[in-house]
Amino acid sequence: MKPNFTSHDAKFWLQQIQTLKLTKPVKIMNVCGGHERSISQAGLRSILPEAISLIPGPGCPVCVCPEEDIYEAIQLALNETITLVAFGDMLRVPVNLPKNEIRSLEQARSAGADIRPIASPMEAVEIAEQIDKPVVFFAAGFETTILPVISMLVQGVPDNLLVLMSGRLTWPAVAMLLDSGEPGFDTLIAPGHVSTVMGPEEWEFVPAKHHIPAAVAGFSPESLLAAFYSTLRQLQDNKCFLDNCYPEVVTHGGNATGKQHLAQVTDIVDANWRGVGIIPKSGFALKKTYANHDARVCLPSYADPERKRLGKMPAGCGCAKVVLGKIYPNECKLYGKCTPREPIGPCMVSDEGACRIWWSNGQR
Amino acid sequence: MCLGIPMQIKQIDGYNANCEAKGVERQVSLFMMQHEPLKMGDYVLVHVGYAIQKITSQEYHSTWEIYDEIL
Ligand code: SF4
Repeated sequence: MKPNFTSHDAKFWLQQIQTLKLTKPVKIMNVCGGHERSISQAGLRSILPEAISLIPGPGCPVCVCPEEDIYEAIQLALNETITLVAFGDMLRVPVNLPKNEIRSLEQARSAGADIRPIASPMEAVEIAEQIDKPVVFFAAGFETTILPVISMLVQGVPDNLLVLMSGRLTWPAVAMLLDSGEPGFDTLIAPGHVSTVMGPEEWEFVPAKHHIPAAVAGFSPESLLAAFYSTLRQLQDNKCFLDNCYPEVVTHGGNATGKQHLAQVTDIVDANWRGVGIIPKSGFALKKTYANHDARVCLPSYADPERKRLGKMPAGCGCAKVVLGKIYPNECKLYGKCTPREPIGPCMVSDEGACRIWWSNGQR
Repeated sequence: MCLGIPMQIKQIDGYNANCEAKGVERQVSLFMMQHEPLKMGDYVLVHVGYAIQKITSQEYHSTWEIYDEIL
């Protein structure tokens, strides 16, 4: 019988893990900022057997948001008569411009641009209803954030609300790591709320195609430890499958309405990830039928292909490697000089960035 | 940005609901929940103002226990 993890506490799962006979070191990757936060705050790294290491992977949408998209948003806000709205996390992310130029949405706002942080797509609609000029919604995020943005469009928005779409899908980044032949991890913890909206099936390719154990986890230490145990056990028994250690919330098929809206409004396109490059079929783009709400269609482009360090991470910043789980945050040589108060790279800006999570939890 | 917040539905008006968690009330859209009938008193997981999943009261309480520690 499959164990019912909700009836067991963290201690039980830790004991289960300790009974496993691991013959070599195992790296478990998570791809969700929420998971990394739970792991860090609960101190799970320090209680696991030494052979097990936990590596944060691509779990921070702000961190991988293309530099050129943030540049575009800044320039639109500075040069066009518009109001720009964005999730608060995006405002402080710097682009690669000289120090004396405007390098973030926050600085653009201080320079007089009309930029407003929002917490929900519904706020974007309210703002657009109140003012006459175009309102550009700079929408960066993973599936959990983008589905609500799409549903907002399906429900109907004022004519003056335009979306600057910069959304990404999570699984293609993991697929890219696995396809590279050097994934850098032995088992995978699949994201809880991404799986809630998209359905856990999205992650079945990990065990099926790559023979890597995988389990969806929630955010409690119990659920995470149960998922660690599941994947380690799969490894030990040489049997991989996708386990669901968050069944109360993650159900077959995901959010049916949201996924239907997604198919109606977006195409899935090859897309750039900051510091990483193009990942096939990893980006959301608005379909032509929604062109009248597409900021890329309705407003002039400020793309400047000649710009220095276009698309790159800030000089010296290890975020590209942190994002792909190639290094731990504290292995970046700027870690410590770069802090949440004075961030150099996006991984130190976002609440979901591994650097910020590690720093905030006293990891040095 | 990817962490859903558990809330309880207090009132429903079309696709809009007044939801509450820990004494804080918010307007929440039910537009993504058309596949799932919802009523007053039900619990939902809310992400950027949109309900994305119906949850049980047990899940509501246990999630808040964790969030109280990590958020
Ligand atoms: S410490 Fe700062 S500079 Fe280094 S990887 Fe993290 S965010 Fe980038």
